[in-house]
Amino acid sequence: MTVDTIAVPTATTAALATDNQPIVRNEVGLDPVVWQGPALLAGIAQGPGLAAHRGRLGPAPTPSADELVDLARAVDLRGRGGAGFPSAIKLASANRRKAVVVVNASEGEPASRKDAALMSLAPHVVLDGAVAVAHALGTREVHVVVPSELPSIRVGVAKAIRERVAAGERLKWELHDAAPWFVAGQAQAVLQLLAGKENLPVTAWQPEAVSGHRGRPTLLSNAETFAHLGHLARVGADGYAAYGTAAEPGTTLVTLRGDGWDPVVREVAFGTPLADVLTAAEMGQPLLLGGYHGTWLKPAQLQGLTVSRMDIAAAGATLGAGVLLPLAAGWCPLLRTEALVDYLAGQSAGRCGPCLNGLPAMAEALGDVVHRGGSILRVEKLCGLVAGRGACAHPDGTARLVTSMLSCFPEEVDLHALGGCRGDAEVFG
Amino acid sequence: MTASLMSGRLMSGSTSASFLNGPELWFANRGTGFVLLVLLTLSTMLGVLSTARVSPRIWPRMLSQGLHRNVSLLAVTFLAAHVVTAVVDTFVDIRWWNAFVPFSGTYKPLWLGFGSFALDLLIAVTATSVVRHRMSHRPWRAVHVMAYAAWGLGLVHGLQMGTDVATVWGAAINYGCIGVVLVAVLVRLGLLVRPKLVTV
Amino acid sequence: MSSHTLRVDWPACTAHGLCAEILPEVVSLDQWGYPIVHEPVTDDVLDMARAAVKACPTLALRLTQPPKRH
Repeated sequence: MTVDTIAVPTATTAALATDNQPIVRNEVGLDPVVWQGPALLAGIAQGPGLAAHRGRLGPAPTPSADELVDLARAVDLRGRGGAGFPSAIKLASANRRKAVVVVNASEGEPASRKDAALMSLAPHVVLDGAVAVAHALGTREVHVVVPSELPSIRVGVAKAIRERVAAGERLKWELHDAAPWFVAGQAQAVLQLLAGKENLPVTAWQPEAVSGHRGRPTLLSNAETFAHLGHLARVGADGYAAYGTAAEPGTTLVTLRGDGWDPVVREVAFGTPLADVLTAAEMGQPLLLGGYHGTWLKPAQLQGLTVSRMDIAAAGATLGAGVLLPLAAGWCPLLRTEALVDYLAGQSAGRCGPCLNGLPAMAEALGDVVHRGGSILRVEKLCGLVAGRGACAHPDGTARLVTSMLSCFPEEVDLHALGGCRGDAEVFG
Repeated sequence: MTASLMSGRLMSGSTSASFLNGPELWFANRGTGFVLLVLLTLSTMLGVLSTARVSPRIWPRMLSQGLHRNVSLLAVTFLAAHVVTAVVDTFVDIRWWNAFVPFSGTYKPLWLGFGSFALDLLIAVTATSVVRHRMSHRPWRAVHVMAYAAWGLGLVHGLQMGTDVATVWGAAINYGCIGVVLVAVLVRLGLLVRPKLVTV
Repeated sequence: MSSHTLRVDWPACTAHGLCAEILPEVVSLDQWGYPIVHEPVTDDVLDMARAAVKACPTLALRLTQPPKRH
């Protein structure tokens, strides 16, 4: 791993602590360029080892369950896996006998790299959080789910766990390899993996915080969520609110994916203008926000928009998994969406009829609209048909993507109906 | 053996005292045996029909399920009658436990045993189906599939133990039922490889 | 008036369609034969709803009380 200190040429860094941000470049494969951050990513330049981590932060925090719930409620901490569920409620539900802690670092969203960044460069930030939660819930059982398609992460996490065991921490750790498909990170799919079954969703009659792994209360959250909980337990609500806004204290990790360069992971304080995160060129392009289940936003909507749950909700979108996908110059948003929907349709677990049948039909109908002047009514009908009719939210997310495309780009749809396209003909041949 | 058995039974007459020794129970046993085969065959056919996707305008889906259930329950009553007539009949030495414990009899133990085995399986199928909505689906299904085996065992039991196999009507019923179940099984296997993707 | 919800265990549902036959007031079928629960279960159809739950060949239906977040 090499550390460069580069004057960041693109965005302004007014919202961050210093001008020159050490950037850590992971040498293994197509891994993200990770910026040092103010809270979770503060220590990445010192390497992922336990000694450096302890030297910088001290021992793992040991809050009680009530303390942790109060802290999470005070800062309105939300899950970072995409659904944004209030962590305080989850913690309170799971605060019963024989709880289980599950750190979900599987990152099934292909465009996201924030969990990979955390687990590679700051594993102990996440694991301290997991340990804090385990302590609060009175359990020793912690499962960590890593993506099987990135073996370096498993190696790194296993090493981090070994370091902690050697340092005297007495917990029962278990590592699991998530399957390389999109829905593998879904909560019930993860529980299936833990139970030794196929890593695919099943119907949940109760939330896993109430009854999850082996019927026990299971605190299953995204890796970044645990990082926040650990940090929160360490610095308290006031310390946590050192960054962010009064209404939305804290920071969040985002993955910026353009085409043609390495994905970038940054820790961004809530309230940071989007113009400080994206380049000027990117601000002039449509943005897919949230990931492959996200929402399209027009350039006009990006002006004045901040990284804020409320602000983004007012624009009709959600932060989701924190993925920012600006449309590359010369690309067509309809073709881009069509390619994503084709991918998502292929990623159906195949367990639920409406998803297995509906998503390919939706992809086909969308293809008709994009290439053959087909009616958008059929697409809209299919979107309404698949939503809420599956064991997981995969069909809902896909429908959301398509619906946002239709509402964001009606002019492009009309243009395509006439056989035109705003995309660069050279790009698509 | 069969011929002398028949003449012996017919000549003994049927006074009330020798009812238990007479031909009536034997007729009843044979009759219930055939009816049972027909009903179980019908039930198998209806069961397979329940899994097929026939247009509800032609054949309402509830019809298959309702008929399958009622025909099966009827078959169970005939099964009970078949067993009782065999046990109560004193002409042949079949004890009540021979009906439930396969191969434990003295009279044609192997073929009788097939019948006992079939009875045990059908008891399990019936019991699980009565409480179907109170148990989880997979174990219920695993037991229910054994109905096919019960049919086969019962068929062989009848072919080997029965005294009417050589008759025209007996053969017709047997071959007819074999044909229907063969078709049903083939259809069911064909439906098994059908994917969940349904293009309507 | 209490309002129950008919919920589908989607991985278990294999589109037999008995639910739509028994309870057309609440359930209709999509083009692939899978159930669309388009109404809450009111008291007047509660008995039929229970019958539908019992009749489902794969036990893919459940009757729950307050409408749940899916």
